[in-house]
Amino acid sequence: MEYHWNFDVVWSNLPFLLMGLEYTVLLTAVSMSLGLMLGLSIALIRIRFTRIRAAIVLYVETFRATPLLVQLVWIYNALPASGLRFDPFWSAVIALTLNLGAYLSEIFRAGIISVSKGQTHAGLALGMTPAQVARVVVLPQAVRRIIPPVASMWVGLFKDTSLASAIAVAELSYRANILSARTYRPVEILTAVAVLYFVITYPQARMAHWISNATRVRE
Amino acid sequence: MTPDMLRISDVHKRFGTHEVLCGVTLTVRRGEVIAIIGPSGSGKSTLLRCINGLERIDSGDIWVDGNSVVDAAADLPRIRRKIGMVFQHFNLFPHMSVIRNVAVGPMVVLRKPRSEAYELARGLLDRVGLTGKEEATPYQLSGGQQQRVAIARALAMEPSVILFDEPTSALDPELVNEVLLVMRHLAKQGMTMIVVTHEISFAEQAASRVVMFDRGNIVEEGTPRQVLQQPRQERTEVFLRQLEHTVDP
Repeated sequence: MEYHWNFDVVWSNLPFLLMGLEYTVLLTAVSMSLGLMLGLSIALIRIRFTRIRAAIVLYVETFRATPLLVQLVWIYNALPASGLRFDPFWSAVIALTLNLGAYLSEIFRAGIISVSKGQTHAGLALGMTPAQVARVVVLPQAVRRIIPPVASMWVGLFKDTSLASAIAVAELSYRANILSARTYRPVEILTAVAVLYFVITYPQARMAHWISNATRVRE
Repeated sequence: MTPDMLRISDVHKRFGTHEVLCGVTLTVRRGEVIAIIGPSGSGKSTLLRCINGLERIDSGDIWVDGNSVVDAAADLPRIRRKIGMVFQHFNLFPHMSVIRNVAVGPMVVLRKPRSEAYELARGLLDRVGLTGKEEATPYQLSGGQQQRVAIARALAMEPSVILFDEPTSALDPELVNEVLLVMRHLAKQGMTMIVVTHEISFAEQAASRVVMFDRGNIVEEGTPRQVLQQPRQERTEVFLRQLEHTVDP
């Protein structure tokens, strides 16, 4: 039996899907912003305050060594049990932020410690305070090294938000599932969804590549 | 203004169980050029890093221009402004242009306006023979040029003493002289300098005093002629002989 492609179902439901895309972009942007702040804080704490290192390592390794899907479902279901109730969107933001924070903290930490000790010494020898050394000497160099891996985290996150459909966040994949069940046209709908993810993701990946080339420092 | 630029008194420093500095005592007067020679791992570089507080000492005292570096309440950033440092591997800031490398100290630490700091930097780059390289980035320069930028960067803070940590050891042989020439000029102009070096010719011609270091302490010190030509200690003699062999194979 031959399959007859029919994309009418996509065109007629495009506004519904695009609203999901809006959620996907929003979820990515909010989680990334919070994840960047969390990741940088964790990295700096881990470098500066070695005493609470064990707690930080526990957090980082827990979130890196368990599936994101499990984290999403767990946070959505476990937080209400402890009296905190969030809607699916914010539950997803919390889970994605904690997950990203764990990965990004390692990226930041690696970026910061990859700037050689000699750079810090040169800054201190000029009479800079440790905070000035961080701001003027170390972080600008670390940031340039961090851009490529952070950009690929961003692109990965954009696609990972589809896991939030498991806790009924009305983003692109969730809406695709609903439509598929309603219309019995999963192939056309998922194809359209894949195209939507691609047209958003690919230019970003190219742009990340361009930025990392433009800001590279040769030593 | 005391005549002593630097007083180091009975300084001890250990890394783990290894004692790197074993009771070093040294006084440097204003305008003196001290060449510190001695085998690798004898503690010379550690001593320099202790002088500007990059390394904490275990006991003893260090005064720079009357300020204790060791005092727990010491305002190290303020004291370090007056102590220039030139590193073996230059340690220029790779994300800044050459002129910004020189201007960044006055701008960030002394809060000088950008135009004034750049003017100062331009003058200093001229002084080390690097006019025209202002907009280059460090990686575009040869090692000798990078080290001259590093010297200009130290001078930009108008230090009262400059510490040189093997400034020519990482350079190709043909680039050593351009750096030593700049250092000789500085010495002639009366800059107080402490130079850890393996360049015996520099020690001979530019130093007012030579200090021989071995196993964490000063073995012998005196004028270049005394220490380099008529060493009293056997260890100095052996070291100088070995150095000659490595320089002229």
